[in-house]
Amino acid sequence: MPQIIDIRVDVELSADGDPRAFTWDRFEHTIIGQPQAVFTRTRWWENDGVPTRIDTELWRVDAARGGEEQHRYDLRRDVDGSWVLALDWG
Amino acid sequence: MNEPGTGRSGTAGPGTGFPHLHVASAYSTHYGVTLPEALAGQARAQGASFLALTDRDGLYGAVKHLRACGAEGIRAGLGADLAVHDDDRLPLGRVVVLAHGGTSGRGYAALCRAVSAAHQAMSTGTGREPSIGRSELAELAGLRALTVLLGPVSDVGEAIGRRATKEAGARLTAWQGSMPTGSVCLEVVCHLAEPGSRGSVTPATRMLALAEQNGLPAVLTNAVRYGEPEDAVTADLADAARTLTPLAELEQPQTNGQAWLKPAGAMRQVARMVVDAGLHDDGALTRLLRDTDMLADRCTLDPQADIGLGTPRMPEARVIGVTGDPLAELWKRGRSGVDERYAASGRTAVETAHARLEYEMATVEHLGFASYFLTVARVADLVRGMGVRIQARGSGVGSVLNYALHTSSVEPIANGLLWERFLSPERQTLPDIDLDVESARRHDIYRAIFQTFGADRVSLMSMTNAYRGRGAVRDAGLALGMDAGQVSAIAKQMWRFNARDFRRALEEKPELEPLAAEVRASQQLDQLVDLTARLDRLPRHISVHPCGVILSDASLLDRTPVQASGMGLPMSQFDKHDMDPMGLIKLDILGVRMQSAMAHAVEEHRRLTGESIDLDRIPLDDEPTFELIRSTRTLGIFQLESPGQMELVGKLQPEVFNDLTVEISLFRPGPMQNNMPLLYLQARHGEVVPDYIHPRFEPILRETRGVVIFHEQVMRLFDELTGCGLGKADVFRRHLGKPEQLPLIEAYVREQALGRGFPPAVIDRIWTVLAGFGSFGFAKAHGAAFALPTYQSAWLKTHHPAVFLAGLLTHDPGMWPKDLLVAEARALGVPVLPLDVQHSVLDYRVEDLPPGHAGPVQVEPVTAGSPGPAGPRRGIRLALPELSGSTAAERARIVRHQPFSSLQDFRDRVRPRRSSFEALARVGALDSFIGYDRERRHELLAHIQSLRGTAVAVHDDQLAFDVDLPVPRYTGDRFTAVTSLELRGRTQTELELRDLSLAVSGHQLARFYPLFAELGVTPASALADLPGGTEVLLAGVRRATNTPPMRGGRRVVFVSLDDGTGPVANVVFFHDAQERIGAPVFQTRHLLVRGRTRRSGAKGVSVTGDSLWDLADAARLVKQRHSAERAAKNAAGDEARAEALAAELAAVAPTNVRHLWSARSA
Repeated sequence: MPQIIDIRVDVELSADGDPRAFTWDRFEHTIIGQPQAVFTRTRWWENDGVPTRIDTELWRVDAARGGEEQHRYDLRRDVDGSWVLALDWG
Repeated sequence: MNEPGTGRSGTAGPGTGFPHLHVASAYSTHYGVTLPEALAGQARAQGASFLALTDRDGLYGAVKHLRACGAEGIRAGLGADLAVHDDDRLPLGRVVVLAHGGTSGRGYAALCRAVSAAHQAMSTGTGREPSIGRSELAELAGLRALTVLLGPVSDVGEAIGRRATKEAGARLTAWQGSMPTGSVCLEVVCHLAEPGSRGSVTPATRMLALAEQNGLPAVLTNAVRYGEPEDAVTADLADAARTLTPLAELEQPQTNGQAWLKPAGAMRQVARMVVDAGLHDDGALTRLLRDTDMLADRCTLDPQADIGLGTPRMPEARVIGVTGDPLAELWKRGRSGVDERYAASGRTAVETAHARLEYEMATVEHLGFASYFLTVARVADLVRGMGVRIQARGSGVGSVLNYALHTSSVEPIANGLLWERFLSPERQTLPDIDLDVESARRHDIYRAIFQTFGADRVSLMSMTNAYRGRGAVRDAGLALGMDAGQVSAIAKQMWRFNARDFRRALEEKPELEPLAAEVRASQQLDQLVDLTARLDRLPRHISVHPCGVILSDASLLDRTPVQASGMGLPMSQFDKHDMDPMGLIKLDILGVRMQSAMAHAVEEHRRLTGESIDLDRIPLDDEPTFELIRSTRTLGIFQLESPGQMELVGKLQPEVFNDLTVEISLFRPGPMQNNMPLLYLQARHGEVVPDYIHPRFEPILRETRGVVIFHEQVMRLFDELTGCGLGKADVFRRHLGKPEQLPLIEAYVREQALGRGFPPAVIDRIWTVLAGFGSFGFAKAHGAAFALPTYQSAWLKTHHPAVFLAGLLTHDPGMWPKDLLVAEARALGVPVLPLDVQHSVLDYRVEDLPPGHAGPVQVEPVTAGSPGPAGPRRGIRLALPELSGSTAAERARIVRHQPFSSLQDFRDRVRPRRSSFEALARVGALDSFIGYDRERRHELLAHIQSLRGTAVAVHDDQLAFDVDLPVPRYTGDRFTAVTSLELRGRTQTELELRDLSLAVSGHQLARFYPLFAELGVTPASALADLPGGTEVLLAGVRRATNTPPMRGGRRVVFVSLDDGTGPVANVVFFHDAQERIGAPVFQTRHLLVRGRTRRSGAKGVSVTGDSLWDLADAARLVKQRHSAERAAKNAAGDEARAEALAAELAAVAPTNVRHLWSARSA
C-alpha cells in the first residue's frame, strides 16, 4: 500500500535536469537509475479559472537513504517549481 | 534549475539546440495554436539551428515559416502531416512527409505535389478528408526527394500501440516494399503520458526497437502542437472546436500538455527515458539523436535554390501571345497604344505621353517586369473579348503604359496621376493592378483564364479567416458545454472591442456591466472570458479570396500546393501575404455589381433600340449628368448614394470629372476625421482664401484648394521640398504612418528644404501638414478609377433611367433595399410592372407601355436632368426570381415556354409546385388567364387550390397540349359560389409583400396616408422646396441607418426614411437627440419624426431630428381622439376627455408649418 507523504522537499537535479537526490526529514535520499517522468492531464474546466498547465508533473523514482533498502517514491513538481514528495510506494 | 516543466532552458547556446521535425503551426486550423513567427523565435531562443514546419494537410504556414526562420537566422524545413491510403483505399493512418533540401527544388516540388494529390483525392469524391495514395506518394518520393516519417498515428504506430508487434512489422514491410529505398524513417514520439496510455514511454521504446530490428533510422520528434506549455489549454479548445464536442465529452482529448516545442535538454531527457524503458543496442541514445540531426540536415531547404523565394515567375512569353522578346513587344504595343489613345488630344499631349511612356518603360526594364504588363494586358483583352465590362483600379491607373495597353481606361496625365505611386526602383514589391469586372461574370472570367493560360499556370488565391469576437466566444462556449442560447446572447454583445481585450472591456464598458456581474458570479463564465481571449485572431479556416487570381509559369504547381475551392477551381494554399515572397503574380479580379448593372442597362438599350452605347467613350463633360449629381438625386449612382455622400455631393456641387475624384477621396474615414471636407468646401465656395503655404506648393495643391487629400500630392510636396524624386517620395509617404520613422524624415526634409530655399516658417507649416497626413488620404489613382463608374452610372441614370433602373433591380449593387429603387423608378416616371408569367423573365426587362397605360400608382415624376429622348413610355417588368420559394427549374420552364395560351397550357408546360402556383395566382402573375380582371383573382386562386393530383417528376422539356381550359366562372348567387377567402381584405401591396417581399403596385405606407394628411406630415418629395430651418413632421419606413465617421468622434446617426413619395428623406440625429430618444433611434421601424430642415449646399436638404414616435402609436392616438370626439358629440360630458387627447396629440405634432399631405399623394 502506498503511503501518502505530501510534504515539500528539496530536490537536487543533475546536469541533464533529472532529479538526482532529495532531502526528506533531513536525510538525503539518492535516486538510483533513470527516473521516469509522467505528466497526467487534468479536467481543468471542472475547476476555477483557466490553468497555465493542463497536466501535473510526477517523477517516479527509486531512491535509498544511505545504505538502507531502496523505496519507490512519487515526486511532484508544481507549477511554481517547488517539489512535493507525494507518495512512498514502499 | 528550478523552472517548472522538464528541463526548460532558454540559455542553451547555438548548436546545442534540438531540431524539431514535426511541428504544426496555428495554420493547421483547429489543431495547432501557435503562429509560425512565434515558433521560429522560440526555437532560436532555445539555441536551435533548425526548425521544420509540418502543418496538417498542407503548407498553409510554409511561407511565413520560411520568412520567420530567415529573420531568426535558423535553417528551415518543410513538410506536411498527411493521411495516406493503400491501393484498396484502406486508410494507413497519418504520416509526416518531409521535403529534402539541396535538390534544386525537387524535394519541395514533390511535397507541393503530394499535398495537392491528397486534396485532389478528396475532391474527386473518394474520401471526406484529404489523403494521398501510398503508391502516388512513393512515386513522388523517388529521386530522393522526400522522407516519410511513420509515427504513432501511422498504421505501423497504431499496431505498436496495441502491442501487435508482428502486425507492426508486417505493415512496416509493406511500406518498405512500396516506398523507394531510404525514404522511410520511424518517428519516436513520447509525451511522458501515464503508462498504458497514448504518448507513454512504452510504445515509443517499441517503435525504436522496431527500427533497430529492421535496420531503419529512427528520429525523435515531439509532434508539436504549440510553442509553450501554457498553450496546451488552447489546443484543448482546438480539439473541441474541430470535433464540435464539449471538452468533457471529447473521445480522445490530448493525453497531457506535453506537445510543446521543448528545448534540447528536455528532448534529450525524453530520449533517455525512452531508451531506458526498453532493451536496446548500445549507443541507441546517441544514434537516435544523431539520426534526428542528420534528417534535419537533409531537410534543410535553401530559400532561393529550393523554394525560389523572391524570384518572380511570370507566364512564359508564348502563353501571353508573344513570339519575340517581351520587352521589345511591350515597347511596340506601348508606342502604338499612346498614338491611338492620345490621337484626339493634340500633338503636345501625344508628345507628353510618349515622354512619360519612355520614363515608365525605363523602370519596367530595370525591374524586369515586361512580362507582367503583357500578362495583365492579356487578361484585360481576354475579359473584353468576352464582352464583359472591365475597369482597372488601384495605383496602376497612374500609368500611361497601362492606359496605352487598354488595361486601364482612366487617362493618367491630365488627371494628375503618378507612375511612381505604382512602381519605382525604390518600390521592390511586385506591382498590383486590380481589375473590376461584372460581378455576374466573374466565375466565367476565372474559367476563361484557366483555359487560356492553362491549369498548370493559374490558381485562385486563398485567404485565412481568423477568429474574431463572436466566433471565439461561440467556440469557447461550445468547449465548455454551455447552453447555446446563453452563448449566443453573449456573442451578440461582442462588438466594438477585441475579444483579446474581453476582460478589460467588461471592466470599462458600462453597457457590458450586466454581463460583467454575471461573470463575477459564475466560474464557467469567468473561464469563458479567458478562453475567448485565447482564441481571438487564431486562424480559423481558409477560403477562396474574393478576387485574387495567381498567374505564373508552368512551374506553379511545383511551388504552391492547391486544393479545390468552393467553385471547383483549384485554390492555392498560400494567401496574399505569401504572394510577393513566393514571386507569384496576383491579379485582383473583383466582381463589381455596378458593372453588371451598367452592362445590363446597355444590353437592354441595345435590345430595345438596336443602338449600342460604349460607356467607355461617352463624353466626360455632360452637363445634364452633373446637374443630376448636383441635385443629390444620387440613389443608384456608384459611390454617391449613401446619405453621407448625398449630403457631401450637395455641398460640393461637382462641375467637372475631377470634382468627382475629389468628392470620393474626401468621403473616407481619414479625411473625414481630419475635417478635410469642411476645409475644402470653404475654400471651394470662396468662404476662405485657399492657403497654399508657399507659392511653390500652389501647382500641387491648386486642384484641392490648398487641402492635401491625395497621396500624389504628398509625394509631389516631398519632391518639391527635397528634390528626392517621386520614387523616393513615395517611400517617405508610406513611412509617414510609422511614428519611429518620422524624426528621420523630418530631419531630412528640413535640411534639404532649407537648401532649396524654403524659409523655416514655411517648412514648419508644411511639415505639420505632412506629419498630420499620416497614412490617411487616398491615392488619386483610386479616386479617379472610382469616379469613372460613378460618372458612367450617373450618365445612364440621366439619359436612360428605365434601362439603368432595370440593371440596378437585376443586380442590386447598392446599399438600399429594392423598394427604394422601385420608388425611384416611379419618381422618374418609369413604373415597375407587376409579375406576369406572360412577360416576366429571369431579369428585369424594360417594356414599352401600351398607349394610355397609366402605370400602377401615379406620382408626379420628378425631372431628373433631361427627361431623356421622347418615345413610347416604358415600364420595368418585375423579374421571376423575386417570387419567394420558387425554384430555378420552375422559373427556367416559365421563360422557355412563354407565352401561354391558357391556364391549362401553363400548368402542363411549367408544372409548378403547388406553393409557387398559388403564390403566382395571389400576386396576380396569372391574371392574364382571367383577362386581367382582378375581381376574379379569388376564383382563380380557389380553382388552383381545388386541383388535386399526385406529385410527379417533371422533365425540363415538358410537352403540352394547346387546349383552352379556362377558369370556371363562379357566377350566380355570390353566397354559394366557391371562392378563396385568402384575398379578402388584402391589398395588392400586402399580397406582393407576402410573396415577393417587394411591393411594386403601391407603397407599404399607403395605409397611413390619411393619418399623414391629418397630422400635417411633409412628403419627402416636398422637402427640397422648403427653406432651411423649417420645422417639419416627417414619416416613413426606415430604409437605412448609418453612423459615418465624424470629426471629434461624436456619433451622428443618419436615418433614411421612405414614405413612398420620392427619394428617401435623411434625418440626422445629433448627440443630444440620440440621448433624448434612446434606443428607438436605431430600432423603430415605422417612424414619425419632428425636426428642422437643414440645407446642405444649393440642392441638398436633410432634416435634423428632434423627436421621434412610432407611427403605430401615433395612429392609435388619432384613433382614440376620433372615437372620443364621436363620443363627445353623443354625450357632451366626455368633452374633457376629447380635449385631453387632443392635447396629447398636439404634443406629438406641434409644428408651425403644416405641409398637408396632398390629396394627390394620399
